[in-house]
Amino acid sequence: MESEQTTASKIAAKATRRDTTAVGEKSHIAMQLTDVEAMYGNFRAVNKVSLEIEARSVTAFIGPSGCGKTTLLRTLNRMHETLPGATVKGSIEVSGVNLYGSSIDPVRVRRSIGMVFQKPNPFPAMSIAQNVASGLRLSGMKANKKVAEIVEESLRKAALWDEVKDKLNEPGISLSGGQQQRLCIARTIAVEPEIVLMDEPCSALDPLATLKIEELIGELKTKYTIVIVTHNMQQAARVSDTTAFFNMGPDRGGFLVETGPTTKIFTNPTNKLTEDYIAGRFG
Amino acid sequence: MNQAPLPNIRLDFSLTPHDIRRRRVNQIMLRIIQAAAIVSVVPLFTILFVIFSKGLPQLGLSFLLNGPLEQPTGIVNAIQGSLVMTFIAIIAAAPIGIGGGIYLNEYASTRVARIGELFIDIMLGVPSILAGLFAYFALVPILGHSGWTGSIALTVLMVPVVMRTTQEVLRLVPAGLREASLALGVPLWRTTIFVTCRTALSGIMTGVVLAISRGLGETAPLLLTSQTSNDVSINLGQPMNAMTVVIYQNATSSDPQIVATAWTTALVLFVVALILNVSVRFKTVNNRVF
Amino acid sequence: MSEAPSFRRSRLSGELPFRILTLGSVLLAAALLFTLVAVIMEKSLILWPVEAPLTFLTSSGWFGSTAPSGVITAAFGALPMIWGTLVTSLIGIAVAAPIGIFAAIYLVELAPKRLAAPLTFLVEIVAAIPSVVIGLWALGELSPRLRDSIEWWVASTVGQFIPWLSEDPQQPSDTSVFRSGIVLAIMITPMVAAVSREVIRSVPQSLREGLVGMGATKWETIRLVILPTAKVGLLGAVLLAFGRAIGETIAVRLTIGMNISEIPPTLFQPGSSIAAQIAGAFGEASPIEKGALAGLGLSLFILTLTLSLIVRLLMWRSANRMGART
Repeated sequence: MESEQTTASKIAAKATRRDTTAVGEKSHIAMQLTDVEAMYGNFRAVNKVSLEIEARSVTAFIGPSGCGKTTLLRTLNRMHETLPGATVKGSIEVSGVNLYGSSIDPVRVRRSIGMVFQKPNPFPAMSIAQNVASGLRLSGMKANKKVAEIVEESLRKAALWDEVKDKLNEPGISLSGGQQQRLCIARTIAVEPEIVLMDEPCSALDPLATLKIEELIGELKTKYTIVIVTHNMQQAARVSDTTAFFNMGPDRGGFLVETGPTTKIFTNPTNKLTEDYIAGRFG
Repeated sequence: MNQAPLPNIRLDFSLTPHDIRRRRVNQIMLRIIQAAAIVSVVPLFTILFVIFSKGLPQLGLSFLLNGPLEQPTGIVNAIQGSLVMTFIAIIAAAPIGIGGGIYLNEYASTRVARIGELFIDIMLGVPSILAGLFAYFALVPILGHSGWTGSIALTVLMVPVVMRTTQEVLRLVPAGLREASLALGVPLWRTTIFVTCRTALSGIMTGVVLAISRGLGETAPLLLTSQTSNDVSINLGQPMNAMTVVIYQNATSSDPQIVATAWTTALVLFVVALILNVSVRFKTVNNRVF
Repeated sequence: MSEAPSFRRSRLSGELPFRILTLGSVLLAAALLFTLVAVIMEKSLILWPVEAPLTFLTSSGWFGSTAPSGVITAAFGALPMIWGTLVTSLIGIAVAAPIGIFAAIYLVELAPKRLAAPLTFLVEIVAAIPSVVIGLWALGELSPRLRDSIEWWVASTVGQFIPWLSEDPQQPSDTSVFRSGIVLAIMITPMVAAVSREVIRSVPQSLREGLVGMGATKWETIRLVILPTAKVGLLGAVLLAFGRAIGETIAVRLTIGMNISEIPPTLFQPGSSIAAQIAGAFGEASPIEKGALAGLGLSLFILTLTLSLIVRLLMWRSANRMGART
């Protein structure tokens, strides 16, 4: 009873959320990073990053290994701090609220800011449908018709429905690597997050599967704000609207070199470092 | 993209009643899990406390060096018996266990190795009383109630411990090491001894020490085989005392002095078991075998 | 060309003996196991004409003598011992499984990094204490306390309605089936914890992150991802510990009592177990009784053998399952 009520009120809240635009805010900014630093114990993996992430577009983080791009990505939904000894400084504001504010529950943050991981990680003890519904289960929804509808819709959005519609009850790990990753995307968008973080989502996949995921990203950005970390510069050029280039400093901590529209970063970068990296002179 | 511009993102991180309930459930369950961890170490401290408080008063050099019939009474014969029988048993069990572990990991086909694994499992699962029963039936008619029969009963229990550990640690030796040696033209058996086994030596020794620890801690098989004796002697042809047997036999006595001997012997045995296990523990804490 | 044959021969010079030696070790170990079973079987043969296997397993009573005329009068029933073995082990595992698994979860998932290693050591070191030491402690310290606390409390509340939880109708004894079960719980908890820890550790980190990244609490991650993924392995851990409990001799012998003739009407009365009975009755056993004890040993072996086989099958399955694309 109570949980149904909760769900209903949440859906209502979501409806109003879409219709209001706060006056006086820059309408296109999804996340505002100010002096974000990520530490592992005493090691500073990310040095003071300030960055704006545009809403409903794809932002790519690129840079050589060890430049802190994945670490920074993991600060955006407070995943970083789940590792032992890991801490974050600075502020990340989403619609005027600092994610690291004292009243914010990190668990709650992660529901609205979803994450797709480097290695496809469907839950082995769950079927395909259960995998997609796992986030709904967390928010208290029991398996019913509504859930089945959301599962189907999410799988359609993730371009996986036609491949799995006849075997929804088979284990998620029975799928191929590319399908598994799309299943993970479906799982992430099933809970209607506003922002989806992707940590090198194609690095474990073959070229064909990669292409499918990239197409999918293009479709998803009309609805979601996407931040993607990638090793692959061509991928960043293909899928992203904005690119942020990171590098590793002399103290082995990562820092933001420059950010801008992807076309500009790839054709006419301001910084010499970026130019060298794009040209493949290091990294 | 000719659609009307979408409204700005509005995220609301406030908690629904459901979220608050989840948070509470989480806190309660984590407390319960923590409590389970605490509960599981309580017996250790209780046992430690009781053994020390009851065993320490009688502990002294004379307790360790005197025989049971001397005044003050001691358990030197039991200590000797435990050590001698365990020593004989490990002399027999270590080569069999190590050799078998080597064969199963280095030579056997996958199928044979799997069958071997199953065999070790079954042997590890054999209750110690059955090893005693076996030695009693098969060997007491020949060797009598003696240190020898006790040692053989212990051997049966130690072999699978050594073999399992050997097999497990050899499996952890990187294939690259073997191949590097084989590529130099070193024959397989020499590679196995001088490269593979040497690399895994500390792990293999762990298995041997664990087996010794098991041998020193066994009671039931010795009750049926070496039985007990008051003689201070290391003659394996006669019945022999052991620390575990002393504890067992004195435990049920109504004479507080005899029970005190059981506690003090338990203290000695406990300290020995602890030293043996601590010595191998820190090396193997992350790849222990079961 | 001429070098090749001599080269091959020198290679073989040590190879064959070494192979034979190591293979011999395996065969010797296997032979030990086979002989053990064969000897116990052979010694039990004397019993079967007197007491058919099925009757032996399903009846009560422990009596046998050989008259000077050679006539054997005997009635041997293993039922009370089998009952005692299973009930004590079930009590033990019922307590040890949740505590051991939760302790393992704490050690792997929750313990602060610095605390994890020493705490793991403390939890698992109990397994290294010789069972006779635990038995001594249980007999002298734990048993009377259990009798005066939990047993008394249960008997005077629930025991009013459930007969087998009621008070010992005779005066409270020093020993009882329930107390043996608790002692077993203490002995096998570290084993459950140790094996569970391995199993839980082998759940890939990426799975934990998957659910945490969707906004799951720690407990939800444990309940929805870790426990289901580790399910088979955890079952293996529990069964392994159950097998250990079934075979435990000395600690049970010291705490269960020596009630061999019947299944005790309440858990708070003395009983017996297979292993305890073998250890306790052996000294003065007549030849026919020794046969009966061998029969007990055989049933014990079959019990533990079955468990070992199940556990190994589960472990293989669990390894396949977690190794598959995760």
